[in-house]
Amino acid sequence: MSIDLSSMADMIFDWNKMGIVFALLGAVLAALLGGIGSAIGVGMTGQAAAGVVTEDPGKFGKVLVLQLLPGTQGIYGLLIGFITLTQIGILGGNPEMSLAKGLLYLAACLPMAIVGLISAKWQAKASVSSISLVAKKPDQFGKAMIFPAMVETYAVLALLISILSIFSIAGLPV
Amino acid sequence: MAVLEMKRIEICALKNQRKKILEFLQRQGAVEINIPETAEELFGKTDTTSARLAFEKSSQTTASAVTVLDGIVPPEKGLPKMLAGRQAITAEQYEKTAQEASSLSKKAAHILLLDKKIADSQAEVLRLEAQIEALNPWLGLDVSMRTKGTQSTSVFIGTFPEALTEGQLKERLAAALPEISCVEAEVVSTQAQQTCVFVVCYGEYGMQVENALRSMGFTYPATPSKLPPPQRVEELQKRIETAKKEEAAAQEEIASYKDLRQDLLFASDYYAMRADKYQVLGELWQSPRTFFVSGYIPAEDSAALQRRLEEEYHAFVEIQTPEEGEDLPVKLKNGFFAAPVEGVVEGYSLPAKGEVDPSAVMCVFYYVLFGMMLSDAAYGILIALGCGIVLLKFKNIEESLRKSLRMFFFCGISTTFWGVMFGSYFGDAIPVIARTFFGTEITIPALWFVPLDNPMKLMLFSFLLGIIHLFTGLAVQLYQLVKRKKYADALYDVGFWYFLVGGLIIFLLSTDMFHNMMSLSFQFPAIVGNIAVVFAAIGAVGIIATSGRESRNPGKRILKGLYGLYNVSGYLSDILSYSRLLALGLATGVIATVFNQMGSMLGGGVVGGIFFTLVFVIGHGMNLAINLLGAYVHTNRLQYVEFFGKFYEGGGRKFQPFAAKTKYFKITEEK
Repeated sequence: MSIDLSSMADMIFDWNKMGIVFALLGAVLAALLGGIGSAIGVGMTGQAAAGVVTEDPGKFGKVLVLQLLPGTQGIYGLLIGFITLTQIGILGGNPEMSLAKGLLYLAACLPMAIVGLISAKWQAKASVSSISLVAKKPDQFGKAMIFPAMVETYAVLALLISILSIFSIAGLPV
Repeated sequence: MAVLEMKRIEICALKNQRKKILEFLQRQGAVEINIPETAEELFGKTDTTSARLAFEKSSQTTASAVTVLDGIVPPEKGLPKMLAGRQAITAEQYEKTAQEASSLSKKAAHILLLDKKIADSQAEVLRLEAQIEALNPWLGLDVSMRTKGTQSTSVFIGTFPEALTEGQLKERLAAALPEISCVEAEVVSTQAQQTCVFVVCYGEYGMQVENALRSMGFTYPATPSKLPPPQRVEELQKRIETAKKEEAAAQEEIASYKDLRQDLLFASDYYAMRADKYQVLGELWQSPRTFFVSGYIPAEDSAALQRRLEEEYHAFVEIQTPEEGEDLPVKLKNGFFAAPVEGVVEGYSLPAKGEVDPSAVMCVFYYVLFGMMLSDAAYGILIALGCGIVLLKFKNIEESLRKSLRMFFFCGISTTFWGVMFGSYFGDAIPVIARTFFGTEITIPALWFVPLDNPMKLMLFSFLLGIIHLFTGLAVQLYQLVKRKKYADALYDVGFWYFLVGGLIIFLLSTDMFHNMMSLSFQFPAIVGNIAVVFAAIGAVGIIATSGRESRNPGKRILKGLYGLYNVSGYLSDILSYSRLLALGLATGVIATVFNQMGSMLGGGVVGGIFFTLVFVIGHGMNLAINLLGAYVHTNRLQYVEFFGKFYEGGGRKFQPFAAKTKYFKITEEK
């Protein structure tokens, strides 16, 4: 007697009801990974900034700006998470959706989640170098700010793709 | 859009006018001193290093005297230095107070001396207190600690490194010296790790007892006092009192100088200025009766300065147009609207020789892009109000800070404008408050559209702004090339790119695919698209043909041309980069919405109201701070990388005039 695996699975849970689970997983991942990346990043830059302030408290304002630069990925992650939550009906509305749609939301959240995590870390490294640049040459602050901002471009692009995907999914016939 | 024209100024005058002229130049602050390295044999230089160092030292002395004074008599809490700015004094006041400078400098030295006395007294008190601490275990002893005995007795005063009772001590002594009976031992005090004892015996047993004691761990005190300990402590306490009195007296004397604070600060500035003056004095070329100084001066200031130097100081002044190849300093001058972004230009680099000052072109874009990234009317009003009030209320702020504040004021206005366009006031605070607390539905409709409802539209608009921004950058490059009469370069480096990029964009707008993808409301007819393709092709061919024009080898030239054409991908990424306008704009709005929603979680009523206010203030404060930073950084990036990349290199040297670089006072010239 052969056992049909899919019907076994159906007996345990209903695949068609899993859509919302994957959608929420996406929303949570975006906030989670973006937040982790930014926390690591701002932590790294904070250490470097504190070192500079030990020597010269007058540079606090400048190094603070540089410290906060890798903090945006966490905010973008929050943004994507929140938009997804409103779109999938978790914050009031109808949370029913097909499995395909749920997976689509998960996929849509991934650019922000993954790029957010990795870019925050690398942006922090650029930022740490910029902090030491400002420590030695405070008048080069304008340029020092640009190097980490370059890394952030890719977080912004990921954010863009995630946003556009999330907004388009609702209208798809799946 | 102006880099000020620089002239070379040469001043020759009689030596007896030397100091007056230098002081005049310093007060005017219009000339950057630049003295040729060689001169005719007749001229020589004076070494002023030692005088300059003495002045620098006096400047430091007076400034640190004020620091000491502030430590003892804290100055009245006034405005932060940044807002209050430097106090203005007239040239006459300057002359008057300058005469008192040397007596002030003496007083400053005296204050520093008093401060040293205070430090010494404090150290003395600490030392004496430590001594008293060490004597504490011995307070029960009423003879000198140096007592060695009488004619017929030996006395041992010292410690054991453990806690012992008198009984234990006597038992051990008895065990160590069974044959000697007349040993009297007394415990003065006992602590956990130390027992202070007084042992007396017949003089003849002295050696034996001492050896026995030593074998038990007995040691003499390190610093035995000559007087009996209680008396010694009393004496030490008297000395502490004296030291404290001295300290108080010194403090009082310093405090009596509190009215001199302003004068001392002035003296510090005065000496700093004199140090600067002597620095220049050391660079002058001097003959026995005359001296010679030269430098750079903005052309617009030169005539007035020349007239005053000639009339008031009988100097010979010559204003010349600098020669080609001279390293001229750069000073920017812009109007009310553009001057604030000069700081941003300077943050990148000042314009090099022959480059235009980008401030005027840039400022409009700067304000617009900044506003779009923040795009919340309420935030914008807060920023504009904050900067506006500070600007109106504190007239004395330093010029550079004033410019930054004005920049953020304009940015705030632009933010308000975009916030109204996109219908965002603290995010969706108004409908949320109306719903939660008043049970009604109020919404302020967006003047244009709500970005969250139609992000595609905003993205396309961002790209459009980006294209305008980039093409403006190219236009500035065109202007620069035409101004230098490089017409061919203008066509090759700018014209062809306009053809190629512009043609491609128009072609894209005429295709069905793009039309459907972006759901545009208009579409160029196919014929326009075809014409655009022709233009793009002309551009592409032109670029391939001319990009490698400095190579003579035709094969290399074509290869370089193809590589030049590859730069079109750079334009693509440049344009895509403007999508950050959408991303950051949405970020502000969505985070504001999150906080509003969090605040309304407890519903209406008093508790809900308090909770909402709390979340509202903290949440929006944080959101404003973070997004303000984001908008600032990314606006700068778009200007520096995308915009400046099209035409601007920079590398100019900042104009640094010989001026009164004072920290506390500003000397105003009487007119």
